[in-house]
Amino acid sequence: MKKIVVILIAAFVVASAFIPDPYHTHKTGFHTTPLQLEIPKGWPAPYAIFKNNPLTEEGFQLGRKLFYDGRLSKDSNFPCSSCHQQFAAFATYDHDFSHGYNNQFTTRNAPPLFNLAWSSLYHWDGGINHIEVQPLFPITAPNEMAENIDSVLARLRKDTAYHRMFKAAFGTDEINSQRMLKALAQFTGSLVSADSKYDRVKRGEEIFSSGEQRGYELFKARCSTCHKEPLFTDYSFRNNGLAMNDYLKDSGRMRITGDPADSLKFRVPSLRNVVVTFPYMHDGRLYSLYKVIDHYRNGIVQSPTLDSSLRNGIPFTDKEKEDIVLFLHTLTDTTFLHDKRFSQP
Amino acid sequence: MIKFLKKYSAVLLLLLTATSFQKKLSSGIDDKATVRLIFSNVVKGHILVLNDSAYTNPFNESYTVSKFRYYVSNIFFEKDNDGFQQKDSYHLVDEGNQASKIISVGLPAGNYKSLQFLLGVDSLHNVSGAQSGDLDPDKDMFWTWNSGYVMAKLEGSSPASAIVNHKFEYHIGGFSGPDKVLKEIRLSLPGSSYEFRAGKSYTIFITADINEWWQSVHDLKIAEHPAIAAPGTWAKEISDNYAHMFHLDKIVAE
Repeated sequence: MKKIVVILIAAFVVASAFIPDPYHTHKTGFHTTPLQLEIPKGWPAPYAIFKNNPLTEEGFQLGRKLFYDGRLSKDSNFPCSSCHQQFAAFATYDHDFSHGYNNQFTTRNAPPLFNLAWSSLYHWDGGINHIEVQPLFPITAPNEMAENIDSVLARLRKDTAYHRMFKAAFGTDEINSQRMLKALAQFTGSLVSADSKYDRVKRGEEIFSSGEQRGYELFKARCSTCHKEPLFTDYSFRNNGLAMNDYLKDSGRMRITGDPADSLKFRVPSLRNVVVTFPYMHDGRLYSLYKVIDHYRNGIVQSPTLDSSLRNGIPFTDKEKEDIVLFLHTLTDTTFLHDKRFSQP
Repeated sequence: MIKFLKKYSAVLLLLLTATSFQKKLSSGIDDKATVRLIFSNVVKGHILVLNDSAYTNPFNESYTVSKFRYYVSNIFFEKDNDGFQQKDSYHLVDEGNQASKIISVGLPAGNYKSLQFLLGVDSLHNVSGAQSGDLDPDKDMFWTWNSGYVMAKLEGSSPASAIVNHKFEYHIGGFSGPDKVLKEIRLSLPGSSYEFRAGKSYTIFITADINEWWQSVHDLKIAEHPAIAAPGTWAKEISDNYAHMFHLDKIVAE
């Protein structure tokens, strides 16, 4: 009797292998540990950046290893993390431009990396339309990582640890560009920063000092249209009155859209962790928050595409400048800056 | 035993279903014709040879070609009311890779009026993140600074070009709004309808004439436009032109 059951079950298993699978899914029986993107209370819904890339612990850990791996660059000196340092909220600390291959510099200030799932476009000019394809730019840019994708993949394929990790994340040990990019997106897309003093005050766990509170009131009145709470950006592209960089002649968003109305417009950056992401602006020309406030007080350069809200600058007294800066210090998320999950594995 | 059969009748039923499914599937294969599309890249009827041969464009500008690639996607065979759409239909035709110039399609038998495809990669696949196969960014057909595919690429040199090394380079892309360069190509099949029979093989010979890149709709000279490498007006004009480069030469039934 038992024998017949076994035979029947075996026959069923064999037969089921012939049932066509319309989606070509690989039933290799591998298991992953699903992860949930943390959505802080009171925040808007994020974009579906993981729609075709289910977030898993295995994918995240693979992405983390890749992010810190110099072998993604031509001479092994420039992993993603060389320009995106955790202690600088994944910007480059104290650099207007970052260093790249062969003593070259980048041509824009490295943006910090966090809360990327709340953005649909990336880069100062919004030229990147999906988080998965962003790494193609720095990896192949001759003044950044200076490598081509096939050479990167060839190097990864020589490392048995990667064979193991690609298999754990994707079911087989095939190493290709799509998997590499999806894994990187799982890591960078998971970088959520939402535990600054500001957040704790909002959650009722702490209170602002009187100076911070005055700064917050000023901020809400004069800065929050563009630097909209709770993400501290409205993700728009605006000309904030900086003279065109004489050397770089960077027209910003216009380079992508070809529309003269977009000349000198750049992505409004988030002010979260702003204290550690100095220097400021797309070319890092302003070295302190005081200089930034001064720019809005009396440095605005008039031009046809200047944001209408900045025609007359933004008035701040010296005292108000101090208060605003006090408030901006409450946006530093030290939990994020030291989160072991995001550090070099 | 009978008791046993009763107990496992569900399993048996499944087994039977699976077997009949399998039969249906194999008979499905028999209903199809095997169709190969062969793309031949030419200049005024002469087979293109990379690098060595010099050609003359409609403005008497001499040129050689070092790279010629384009995406053929969403292949569709049109019937009277409907038609057949190839699944996951993304093909990069690369003059430098002979195998890439042959595209195989399993076509349900029947009478078809035309062969249609998109010259380029549809908008959706320009905004959906990292792709694989012929859409893999390592094919060097994806813009890293302004996300999106280069739909067609033509590179070479010409004495008419005044830029470095007398190069000319056309990287034609743009998938949305006014910058859209996607072109739907429709090639009528011989007669008013052509019959593809089950179990038979067919080869459709298609030529693509590079000289159309400079004419057909807009007159563009190498001297005036040696490099077009971003979405915009000139890319659009070139795409208006190259939409006319394809010609269905003949169908050979085997």
